[in-house]
Amino acid sequence: MNIENTKAQMKKGVLEFCILSVLSSGDQYPSEIIEKMKEAKLIVVEGTLYPLLMRLKNDGLLSYRWEESLSGPPRKYYKLTPVGKQYLKELKTTWTELVNAVNKTIEKR
Amino acid sequence: MNRTITMNLSGIIFHIEEDAYDILNKYLSTIKGYFKDSEGRDEIMNDIEARIAEMLQEKVSKAKQAVLLSDVEAVISVMGKPEDFAGDTQDSEKKNTSDSSSEENKFSYPNNKRRRVFRDEDNKILGGVCAGVANYFDFDPIWIRGAFAISFFAFGSGFLLYIILWIIIPKAKTTAEKLEMHGEKVDVNNIGKAVNDEFEDFKKRMNEFGDKAKSPETKERIRTTAQKATDFIGDVFHNMIHVFGKIIAFLLVFLGIALMVGLLATIFGRGTISVFNSPTSNIHFSIYEFSSAVLPNGMPIALIIIALILFFGVPLLSLIYAGIRHLFGIKHKNRIVKYTANTLWLVGLGLVLYIGFEIGNDFSEETSVKQKIEITQPTGSVLHLDLKPMPDDDIDLTYNYRHHKKVKLGDWTMMSKDENKFSIGYPIMDIVKSETDSFQLVVVKSANGYDKKEAAWRAKNIEYFITQKDSSILFNSFFDINTVDKLRAQDVKIILKVPVNKVIYLSKRMERIIFDIHNINDAIDNDMVNRRWIMTNSDLECIDCNGLETVNKNKSDNTPTPASTEETKK
Repeated sequence: MNIENTKAQMKKGVLEFCILSVLSSGDQYPSEIIEKMKEAKLIVVEGTLYPLLMRLKNDGLLSYRWEESLSGPPRKYYKLTPVGKQYLKELKTTWTELVNAVNKTIEKR
Repeated sequence: MNRTITMNLSGIIFHIEEDAYDILNKYLSTIKGYFKDSEGRDEIMNDIEARIAEMLQEKVSKAKQAVLLSDVEAVISVMGKPEDFAGDTQDSEKKNTSDSSSEENKFSYPNNKRRRVFRDEDNKILGGVCAGVANYFDFDPIWIRGAFAISFFAFGSGFLLYIILWIIIPKAKTTAEKLEMHGEKVDVNNIGKAVNDEFEDFKKRMNEFGDKAKSPETKERIRTTAQKATDFIGDVFHNMIHVFGKIIAFLLVFLGIALMVGLLATIFGRGTISVFNSPTSNIHFSIYEFSSAVLPNGMPIALIIIALILFFGVPLLSLIYAGIRHLFGIKHKNRIVKYTANTLWLVGLGLVLYIGFEIGNDFSEETSVKQKIEITQPTGSVLHLDLKPMPDDDIDLTYNYRHHKKVKLGDWTMMSKDENKFSIGYPIMDIVKSETDSFQLVVVKSANGYDKKEAAWRAKNIEYFITQKDSSILFNSFFDINTVDKLRAQDVKIILKVPVNKVIYLSKRMERIIFDIHNINDAIDNDMVNRRWIMTNSDLECIDCNGLETVNKNKSDNTPTPASTEETKK
C-alpha cells in the first residue's frame, strides 16, 4: 500500500467539506478559495479544485454568478445553495464526531 | 528573438512565444483528455482556461508583452499535474468508468513507452547519429562513436554508413521526440521536466553569451523549437525534400572536395593539369611551366597562384561549405564568412583580370622578321624535302615520361625542352615559284610584343634550324624560343622558292608542315607527300600522281584539265 496514496485519499475525503466551509463565509471565486485551501495546505495545485467545484455545482450544492473583473476575464463567484448549506451542516456534525472518534482512538494507544 | 503567436484564452488576447504556446496547448489538451468522460468537461476547461488567463495576465506588462515559456511553466506548476486531476476525477467518476487502468490508457499517448531512434542533436558531435543510437540501446555514446571511428578506416565503410544513418534517422525535434528517444514515458510531466531542463540550459547559455548571443547553438535551438509547429503533411513533404537536399548536398560536398584536392595538388603538388586527353588535343602541363611560359617577366609566379586559389578555390570552398551546412542542418548564416569569401573572390577576379590584361598587353603589336637561308643548289634537278627526325617528334603522349610537359591543341604543340627553352611546333611551309633559276629558302619569324621593337626582338630570338645534306633539305619540326621571351604568338613560316622546271620531292613526314600549297592538281596537303612535283610557269604540278585520281577522284572528275595536262607532259 502506498502511503502517499492513502494520504491523498484522506485529504480528498475532507476536501469537499472544506470547500463548502470556505464558501459558508461568503461568495468567493476560485482563486480566493484556492488561496485559503493553500494556506491550510489542503491542496497544492489549483487544477484539483475545478473538477471538485464542478461536481459540487452539478450536485446542486453550489451555484455561481458571473462578475466582471477589472483586470482579466470575468470571474465565477461561487455561492452555497440552501441544499449546500444543509449539506454542510450535516458534514460538520459528522466531522466533529469523526474527529472525536479518531482522537479517542489515537489517545487510547 | 522568437516568434510569437496570438492566442485567445478565455476572451483575453495574448502574444505568446511559439514554444510556450506548444507547451500550453499540450497541457490543456492533456487535461481535456483527463476529463473525457466528465459531464461538465467544457465548463471545467473554461474555468481552468480562465484561471490560466488570469495568471498569465499578471505576468505580462507594457514592458513585457509576450508570454514566455517560463510564464507558462510557472502557470502549469501552479495548476498542477494532470494526475492530480485524474485522482479527483477517478474518485468521482467511479460510477462511469469501472476500470481505472483502462482510463489511464486513454490519458496517455499511444506511443507511450515505445522507444524510437532519433538523432540526438543535443549531444551531437557530427550529426548526433551515435548519440541517438546510444540512447536507443542505453549505451554510453562513446562506445558507438569509437566503433564508428574505427570503421571509418575500413575503407570508409563507417563513413558511408554514418552518412546513410544521418539521412535516414530523423532528428529529435520536439520535446516529445526527445523523450521517446530515451524511452521515457511521454506524459505532460516528463515534457514539462524536459522543457524545464532545456529552458534552464537555454537560460544558462543566454547568460553565457549575453544579449548579443550569436552562437550557432542558441540560434539553432530557437529555430528548432520554432519548427515544431510544422504540420504533419508539410512535414512529410518537407522530409522528402530534405532527404533529396541532403543527397545533393553530399554530392556537392564530394565534388567540391574532389575539385579542391585537384586544385591544391595542381598548385602545391606541382601536379599536372591533364585535360582533353585525346590524340589531337591534350594538355599535360603544370601551372609552373605554364606560368613560366606565359607570365610576363617580372611578374611573380606567386601572383598567379594566389589568383588561382582565390578565383577557383573560394567558389569551391563555398560549395563545400554550403553543402556541409545543408548536410549538417546548420541554419545560421555567418555574414563575416560570406563577406570575406565575396571579397576574396573579387580580389581573385581582380588578379586574374590584371594578369590577363598584362599578358594581353604583350600581344599589342605583331612583327615579322624575314631571314634568307643560304642553300647549296642540288646537283640534280630534284630537291628532296624532308623533316628532320627528332626524338620528340613522335612523343607518346600517354606513356612518355615527358608527357607532362606537353601541350597539344590541334596542330599547335608546345614542349618544355629544359629550364630555358620551349619548343613550339610546327612551322608552316609554303612552296612558291622562284623568280631566279635557283632554289631559295626564306624563313619568316613572327612574334607579338608590347611594341614593334619588342615583337621584333622576340621574333629574332626564335631559333629554327634547317640542315642540308647533298640534295636534300632537312627541316626541324620544332622551333625554339627562350623561356625569358615568353609565349607571344611566335610563329615560323618557311617559304621555299622553286625555279621553273625544277623538281621537288616531298617526304611523308613533310605533311606535318606543308600548308595549303597551291598546285595545278588541286591536291590537298595529305596527297602531296611521297610525290615529286615540278614547278611550272604557274604552280607546282605533280609528276607521279597516278594514284591521285583514286584518292581524289571527285576532284579529278570535276576538273579534268589537270589530268589532261599531266598526260601531255608525259
